[in-house]
Amino acid sequence: MNPVLRPRSLFIALGVLLALAFFLSLALGPVSLHLLDSLQALLRLVGVPVGDDTLEQAQLIIGQIRMPRTLLGLSVGAVLALCGVAMQGLFRNPLADPGLIGVSSGAALGAAIAIVGGSLFGGIPEAFAPYLLSVFAFAGGLGVTALVYRLGRRDGQTSVATMLLAGIALTALAGAVIGLFTYLADDATLRTLTFWNLGSLNGASYARLWPLLLVTFAVALWLPRRAKALNALLLGESEARHLGFPVERVKRELVFCTALGVGAAVAAAGMIGFIGLVVPHLVRLLVGPDHRVLLPASALAGASLLLFADLIARLLLAPAELPIGIVTALIGAPFFIYLLLRGRA
Amino acid sequence: MLRADSINVQRGDSRVLEQVSLELVPGQVLGVLGPNGAGKSTLLAALCGELAVSAGSVKLDQRELSDWQGVERAQRLAVLPQSSTLNFAFKVEEVVGMGRLPHATGRERDQQIIGQALAAADAQHLLARSYLALSGGERQRVHLARVLAQLWPGGIGQTLLLDEPTSMLDPLHQHVTLQATRRFAEQGAAVMVILHDLNLAARYCDRLLLLERGVPRAMGKPEEVLQAELLQSVFGLEVLVHKHPERGHPLIIAR
Amino acid sequence: MRLSLSILLSLIMPAAAFGAETLPQRWLSAGGSLTEWVVVLGGESKLVGVDTTSQHPATVTKLPSVGYQRQLSAEGILSLNADVLVGTEEMGPPPVLEQLSAAGVRIETLSAKSDVTVLEHNLQRLGSLLGDEAKAQEVFAHYQQQLNRQAQWVSAAQSKQAAPRVLLLLGNAGGNPMAAGVDTGANWLIEQAGGHNVATHASYKGISNEALLALDPEVLIVADRRLRGDEAKQALLKSNPALAATRAAKAGRIVVLDPTLLVGGLGPRLPEGLAALSAAFYPASQPLLVEAHANL
Repeated sequence: MNPVLRPRSLFIALGVLLALAFFLSLALGPVSLHLLDSLQALLRLVGVPVGDDTLEQAQLIIGQIRMPRTLLGLSVGAVLALCGVAMQGLFRNPLADPGLIGVSSGAALGAAIAIVGGSLFGGIPEAFAPYLLSVFAFAGGLGVTALVYRLGRRDGQTSVATMLLAGIALTALAGAVIGLFTYLADDATLRTLTFWNLGSLNGASYARLWPLLLVTFAVALWLPRRAKALNALLLGESEARHLGFPVERVKRELVFCTALGVGAAVAAAGMIGFIGLVVPHLVRLLVGPDHRVLLPASALAGASLLLFADLIARLLLAPAELPIGIVTALIGAPFFIYLLLRGRA
Repeated sequence: MLRADSINVQRGDSRVLEQVSLELVPGQVLGVLGPNGAGKSTLLAALCGELAVSAGSVKLDQRELSDWQGVERAQRLAVLPQSSTLNFAFKVEEVVGMGRLPHATGRERDQQIIGQALAAADAQHLLARSYLALSGGERQRVHLARVLAQLWPGGIGQTLLLDEPTSMLDPLHQHVTLQATRRFAEQGAAVMVILHDLNLAARYCDRLLLLERGVPRAMGKPEEVLQAELLQSVFGLEVLVHKHPERGHPLIIAR
Repeated sequence: MRLSLSILLSLIMPAAAFGAETLPQRWLSAGGSLTEWVVVLGGESKLVGVDTTSQHPATVTKLPSVGYQRQLSAEGILSLNADVLVGTEEMGPPPVLEQLSAAGVRIETLSAKSDVTVLEHNLQRLGSLLGDEAKAQEVFAHYQQQLNRQAQWVSAAQSKQAAPRVLLLLGNAGGNPMAAGVDTGANWLIEQAGGHNVATHASYKGISNEALLALDPEVLIVADRRLRGDEAKQALLKSNPALAATRAAKAGRIVVLDPTLLVGGLGPRLPEGLAALSAAFYPASQPLLVEAHANL
């Protein structure tokens, strides 16, 4: 049960892992590029004039396809893991998941409205559709989370237990409304919805990347400022108050960060499960529960893990690709079961 | 110094605390006694701001409790709840170290204090253990060390509230814990402790408050409060009150 | 004048119509019917990959699969070195199409609407991309002729017998059958074959046993995604015992249809399918003979 690594060694290991994941994510894909070409193309992209124009194809593939995709994966993985830490801290339960406060189901509802509603009422230009989907998913996640938070509040205090129950109830309600939209959808729309629910980094572009990068940056800067408060929160809310932390404000910030982070991640890449649950858990096993280490380490580990999962997703069935949510669930769920069994022993 | 002036606490329609006034004096330990449901924990919650009072006032150092800023207050007032649920594998020194969060005394000094507070609770040998691997009694001592560390070394102007700190301890550690509490008070801190064991209260407290259904029945020195008829009417238990043969404080024996 | 010149040129040396180098040589087809048409127009050897909806002819399923038409992978397609990606408006996601066209892949989006003029346009487009517009014209003329004969046959048959009331059920190994609504390709098929669709809803919807009995179709068409022929019929009857009480079942008028005919617009195998349906709708009339394309 005792942590096995010192924070310093962990950060070095995770830094190397992420660098490796980043490099492989740029170097590998269905199109096989020579290592030398990849490196030269990369240098050309940052403005170093090496090689010649035969590198145009490599430059395009790395610059326009793999780089935005890698940055998207990095961002999504980091933000999901960070929000997982925040939720496990808020609920004081190492098995909590960002989905608990309704952000995922809200985003799924928003997506269903955009996908099915768009095809039902017609009139949405095809070029605008993906943006609409992202906006709706993001708004849905934020909206449902706000409602969960509102339901958990009474007399100026937020009851985490009530929030948990409200999250379950609203998730069920959102599920029912999604069911209704599913019923109204035609076959093709239904498949779009299904695929969206499985998540994908496919089709990443810089234009759609920056909102998520911005949110990830904000969450990654903000949450560590609350690391000590999160530590104290694990003792209990009143204990944290007695240690001088503005507990209500901290809870509000945690909920807001999670709604923002998970909402943006889901909006950009669809539903990708288990990262938020498993990564913090894994990191905690390695270095213990201190949030000052846990938060940045989880962000690094989440980013690396998602990049590796995406490599599997894009290489396994090439030239077709597997939705990444399937990969993360196939790795995450058995690992989670292993953790449960291990905890019982 | 913490002072409550005729406070009432309302829960729904029923009044769970009525007209309680008390003052926690530097250097002294006040014991709170009473049967289950008498309002002891409610009183503690009202004194640390967890529960709002419906009448009366609670003041810390002559200032309304609610006017204190979080960290400022945490440096003066520490609270040990009846039980804590911590589900994460912190090391014992990390748990005690959380008591230092309101301070910026530096890593080295904090480490020193953690060691001293653990020693006071006779838990120094647990320093590097995982909290989750501890027994219930060991966990209780670790949390005591945590609140001691929060106010360490203790002095005038600091207040410590303890809710049944001995409930899970073996006889030796019941005494060790209360001795540590006493020594802490002797540094100048004001201490309030909720207890069930009348003899422990008689031995370690300077004054006692006896509560019954939210109403104070008696307040004063142990020999004034621990009287056979009073105890019988409040607890419904027939007792003999003797004098401790060596120490002279009251000794309560069930008949 | 220019048009006729280009037709003339294409008759003489087909590949020269656009100049040999501008004609795409490596084709990727994302759309079942379009793939079939490419094959009919003689372009099978140019196909380097297809999507999962391309199931006919069986030989194309041996080609690399780029996945579902709505979830194409940009790099996957680039790795096949495709010059052109042909697909329907279902093809996506849009950002991937943008990336592909930025990488120099020609994107040809053709409509999947069940409509003859749409088909004419599609065939023209495919023909010119394959460098054989004459063949495309010939194929279309033949197809239109088949549809005309079909229409004539139906009106002749209807003079002897009223249009039957028809319901099409799309199932999966007999379970959860969904009834085809009025805006579906199935509806077009039923009407062209001379039937009357008894369903009034839009798209494909699950339907209760009671509603099924109330609609009481005279002919039931069964399209099953997993089972073929008699197996499909038996599976459906087994999982939905109430069906046995319909007029269609009592009279043994249950027809099995290949579900791939229902999606992706008008495909080359459609006339055969129509003729088979018509024969089932009007058992008293002499069935229409339709010859299949040689290479399908």
